[in-house]
Order: sequence, then structure tokens, then C-alpha cells
Amino acid sequence: MDKVLVVAVREFIETVKTKAFLIGSLLMPMLILALTYGSAWLAKTAEREKLPPRTIGVLDQTGVTFGALAARVREYNEAYPARPFVVENVPPGPDARESLRRRVDRGEIYAFLVIPREALAGQSPCELGRRDAQLSAGEAIERIVNDAIVAVRFAQAEPAIDLARVKQLQQKVGLRTVDARTLEATGEGEDIARFMTPFAFMFLLFMGTLSISQGLLTSLIEEKSSRVIEVLLSAVSPLQLMAGKILGMVAVGVLLLVIWGVAGYASAEYRGMGHLVAPYRVLYLVLYFVPGFLFFAAFLAGVGSVCNTLKEAQGMAFPMTIFTMVPIFLWWRITDSPSSTLSLVLSFFPPTAPFVMILRICADPQTPLWHIVATLGLLWLTVIGMIWLAARVFRIGVLMYGKPPTPRELLHWVRYA
Amino acid sequence: MSSALVLLNVTKRYGDFTAVDQLSFGVPAGSILGFLGPNGAGKTTTLRMVMSIIYPDSGEIRVLGHPQAIDVKDRIGYLPEERGLYRKMTVDQTLRYFGRLKGLRGRRLSERIGESLERIGLADWRHKRVEALSKGMSQKIQFVATILHEPELVILDEPFAGLDPLNAELLTELVQERRQAGATVIFSTHQMEFAQRLCDRIVLINRGRKLIEGSPDEVRSRFASRTILLEGEGDFAALARLPGVSHADIGDGRARLVLADGLEPAAILHRAVDAVRLTRFEEHRPDLYDVFVRLVGADRAAAESARSAGEARHG
Repeated sequence: MDKVLVVAVREFIETVKTKAFLIGSLLMPMLILALTYGSAWLAKTAEREKLPPRTIGVLDQTGVTFGALAARVREYNEAYPARPFVVENVPPGPDARESLRRRVDRGEIYAFLVIPREALAGQSPCELGRRDAQLSAGEAIERIVNDAIVAVRFAQAEPAIDLARVKQLQQKVGLRTVDARTLEATGEGEDIARFMTPFAFMFLLFMGTLSISQGLLTSLIEEKSSRVIEVLLSAVSPLQLMAGKILGMVAVGVLLLVIWGVAGYASAEYRGMGHLVAPYRVLYLVLYFVPGFLFFAAFLAGVGSVCNTLKEAQGMAFPMTIFTMVPIFLWWRITDSPSSTLSLVLSFFPPTAPFVMILRICADPQTPLWHIVATLGLLWLTVIGMIWLAARVFRIGVLMYGKPPTPRELLHWVRYA
Repeated sequence: MSSALVLLNVTKRYGDFTAVDQLSFGVPAGSILGFLGPNGAGKTTTLRMVMSIIYPDSGEIRVLGHPQAIDVKDRIGYLPEERGLYRKMTVDQTLRYFGRLKGLRGRRLSERIGESLERIGLADWRHKRVEALSKGMSQKIQFVATILHEPELVILDEPFAGLDPLNAELLTELVQERRQAGATVIFSTHQMEFAQRLCDRIVLINRGRKLIEGSPDEVRSRFASRTILLEGEGDFAALARLPGVSHADIGDGRARLVLADGLEPAAILHRAVDAVRLTRFEEHRPDLYDVFVRLVGADRAAAESARSAGEARHG
């Protein structure tokens, strides 16, 4: 056990020191935080930015809408004084549209708007041609045009209908969302955050498991190709070596989870959504991380021991990698219906079980306890089997150089090792 | 005298190929054993079995009185043939790691690293990365890693391979120092000059089987009286026809005679004095190189003829 620890400590230190780990563990979460906060901040500053008045050439074929339109634009300009619009009424003519188009093209005006006669009856859309594709400006113009035409329709209705009165009656009710446990009003965007939480937890598990067990593969291949391995085997048994390496990597994985977890919790808390990182979720994350990690680590230790290059090893591990991608592709379906047959099947399939179960537990607090107990039991059984298999292959494979063995040879090793 | 290592009828097969075949020998404690044989003779396989890295199909191995090297790994130092170091670690970190794996701790570990690096003249390199070392330096570090914990049994698989003469000399001294400190040393090689200089005993194997065993002098003298060198004037060709001469190599003014069993060199001397005017008469003492070439060559020839006979039978 003593020697297993010596191996584990070296594995841990040497891995944590690598650039790959620094990038993966620190830079990545920082980048993600920077992106979420940065883009929100950029969008806000963009709205506050002062823009010169933008002229819209209007070809009003209805002949009655321009007045209403100009009124709406005035209202808009009062609401957003930093980004005003100017409307210019263009008399209709055979080439009025074409000359407007040319003016926009030459940059003389910001946009042109054609309001066809049928627009009043709702039988034809209006036409907007712009120099740029700024999203908020497009939305603003659409709203303005819409409001203007609706106002004209009301004005022309027989008998006349009071638009102000209708608006009052149609006043939106509004919905204040609160957290089901605390009754506190939830912040803006929390629904999306709530929806994304299971994915975040699963992704954490995925990164922790996959990236770190890949690290195990890399270090094992390095030991093989630099011929350190037999020197090590003079001091420790193959099983001790494998156990030490896996243990060291589990420690790296836990460190990574802690760093990411703390960063995630901090940013959730910052936005007042800290309660989404519920303790029970963290507990299950750890409960599924350990066997999930051991499963992949043992598998990759077996694979790594028989290969001489990372490329060979990744090729051999590919079928298993495919399985782990399944929850990444299907996470939405699983969180949407955590008790569907698909979710159940994937819960009891060892390579996908940890990821799918984390998704289900986060998405549905009512996940039956027996599912949790049974999947954990199944996972641990598979882990024991996988370690047993890997150890047998490892013992022989680790001293083999040259061509990787065929599946048949592997089977032979497992039976006679 | 007790034995540091005993092998009894040890056999290892890989499929149809028998890598080690009923091999038995012992190594007295405190001696240096040369484990000799051509490439592919089964030396590395044997040493790996001794180290419990692989296991024999049948037979028995006792290492320092234990049936498994695993039980006494901290008392053994093993330098494998396929050896290397972590490139990104410093010399100090590397030695510290291997030392810890062998049960060294704390002050003792630091002291041993310091004095060992001093001994091989690499004290200045202690905190340099392994990738900065030359090949010869790495090999010396590997050797230091092997003996850092002052093992009772030192097993070196091809330790001289790739060493320049100066480093080979240093290694020879280090091996002798280990023996003086009371350790048993086993090293495999196919370079006979080191075996001849260093070993108390040798074991020569080919195709997984033992061909000969004994002290270098014993082994050489077993072949010594069988070859005679003569020089002088006269007709040496006549000597080739003497009864009991199994092989003759006659040149101008010299002859090399290989004697069959039962014919004493003295008898040849008598006849030769009658036939020619001798200036030199010498019982040729073959060195280990000659023994190696003759025994392994004969064994190969035997294997060839056995195979072709087998093929003829089956064909």
C-alpha cells in the first residue's frame, strides 16, 4: 500500500504540473466565465453606445400609414434618445423603390421601408432593406411598423374602436417565478440556468472522467515508450503500479472537480442562483464520479498497457469513447423525460450510467432511490470486473513492445495470465 | 555458503516457443555471477522470472531464501535491459522516486543520492532535468537508481551495453564495490571480456538451456588442454595425421592442433620434437570468448541438424 501511495503521489504531482492540466483546470473555466460575463457586459455597453440618427426612407403605398409611423418613431426616440430613427416620406412613383434601394446602397440613408397597400388588410408583409443586420434595430423597426399599422386599422374600423381602451384590456398579466423551496423571487434567466444545471453537472463529470483518464493513458504510454516501466516493475508489482496510477489520477480528478465546482458555485451564487448547486447534487456527483472514473481509468490502463503510441491507444479506446458521447448528444432528451425507457436503459448501461444518472437526479429530484442504489451497485460491480480484466492485460501488455495484440490474443492473456 | 539465488528446473514457454528450458543454477551469496548467452538465449526472460515480473510455467526459484522476489523486492536492485528514465523529472526527483519505491525515506534517501552522484561524478547534475543528460550519464543514473537502496542482490541485465570504455570501467568498479559491501551480483552480457574480468562464476545458456557453468578459470581449463599451438621449422603437415588429433590447422611454420579425448599434450610434444624443429609449444588457454563461440556454435549446429532431420522425417 505504501508503494501504491508513492506511485500515486508522483502521478498526482507530475500531472498537476503539466500545461495540459493548468489549461484544462484553470484556463477553461476562466474562459467560460469570461465569455458569459464578457458577452453580457459587451451587449449592455453596446446598448448604451450613442448612435447618430438613422434615416429610414418610407414608401407608403397605403397613403395613410406614414403619420402613425412618424408618431411611433417619436415615442421610440423619447424612450431611447441615444439611438434615434428619422423617417422620410418618399412620394410613390414607378421607380421610387429602386431609387430608395440605391440610396441605401450608397450609404446616404440607413434603410428603406415599403408599406404595400395590402399590408393594412394583413395580406402582404412590409419590406425592409438595411445596410447592416443589427438585431436590436431590426426588432425595433418591426415593432414600430407593426404598432403603426395596427393603429391605422383601429382608426379605420367601423364603428371606431378605442385603441387605448383595447390596450388597457389586453394588459399582460405577468408571472413572478419563485423558487419552490425558498419562495424567493428568482432572477432573470434562472429558468434557463435551471434547465442547464443538469447538463452542467454532467459536463463536469464528463470532463473530470474523460480528460483525466486520458491523462492516465498519456502517462502510461510515456512510461512505456521511455522504458521506465520495467524499472518500476522491479520495485512494485504491476497491480500496485496500476493501482497507484489510478489512485493518483482520481486525486487529480477530485481536484479538478473541486476547482470547477467552486468556480461554478461562485458564479451561480454571484447571480443569486447558488441554491441550484444543491448539496445533494454535489454528493451524487462525487458518488458517481468515483466508480465512473475507476471504470474508465481501468479500461484505459488496460488499453494503454498494450499500446506504444497515444494514437494506437486512442484508436483502441474509440468504441468506449463513442458510448461516453451518447449522453452528451442525448442530454436534452434525458432531462426532458428522466423516466423514459431511453433514460432507464442508459442508466443501467455502465459506460453511460454515471452521466445519465447525474442528468436524471438533477432534472428530477423524485428519481427512485432504488434506481440510484441499483446503478451504483452495478457500476461498482463493473468496476471490479474491469479492474480485474485490466490487471490481467496490464501485467503482460506493459512489457510488450511492437504490434498491439489482436482481440483474440487479449482474450488469451485474460484467460491464462 | 548460502545461495542468494537458486533456480531449479525453471521452464517458460510462449506458445510453441520455449524461452527457458529446465534451467537450474545457483548463485552463492557474496559472489558475482556472469549470466552469458547470445541474443535471444533467454537471459532477460530468466531475469524477469527471478524478479517475479513474469512467472515460470514450471520449476522453482528462490530469491534470498524466499519463493517470490515480490516478498524481498526492497532487498534487490534490478537494472532491466529495457530501461529508461522520466525525461521531464530532474535527476534528484527521479532518484528520490525510485529510492522511495525501494523503501528509502527522509535523510537517508538524500544522503544516498548525494554520495551516489558524487561517486559517479554527476553531483553537479543533481537538479538538472533528465532530458539534458547525455546517454552515458543517463545510464550511470540508471545504475545509481538500481543500487541506491544498497540491495543485497543486484541483478543487471546487459549493464555494459552502449557504455564507452571509461564508463564501462567505472561500472566495473561499482560492481566490485557492491561485492565488497557484501552484495551478490548477477549480470547478463554477451560481451565476454567483462565476464572474464569480473565474475566469480559464469553460467552460459543458449536456446533457454544451460551449456556450461563454473568459475571462468574452470570453464577455460576444461577446454585448455584440447588445443595446442606449435611454431618452428619443418613439415607440420605430418602432425595432422597423428592418431588422436581431431582437427588440425596447418600453416607455414606453425600448426594448431585440437586433440581428441585421451591424447595427452605431452605425447604430441614427443612426436613433434622428432618431426620438426620447435620454437614454440603452447597449450592454448582459450578465453571465455572462445568457449562461447565453440559451445554456442556447436549448440546451434546441433539445433540446425535436429531441425533438418525432423523436416526430412516429416517431409
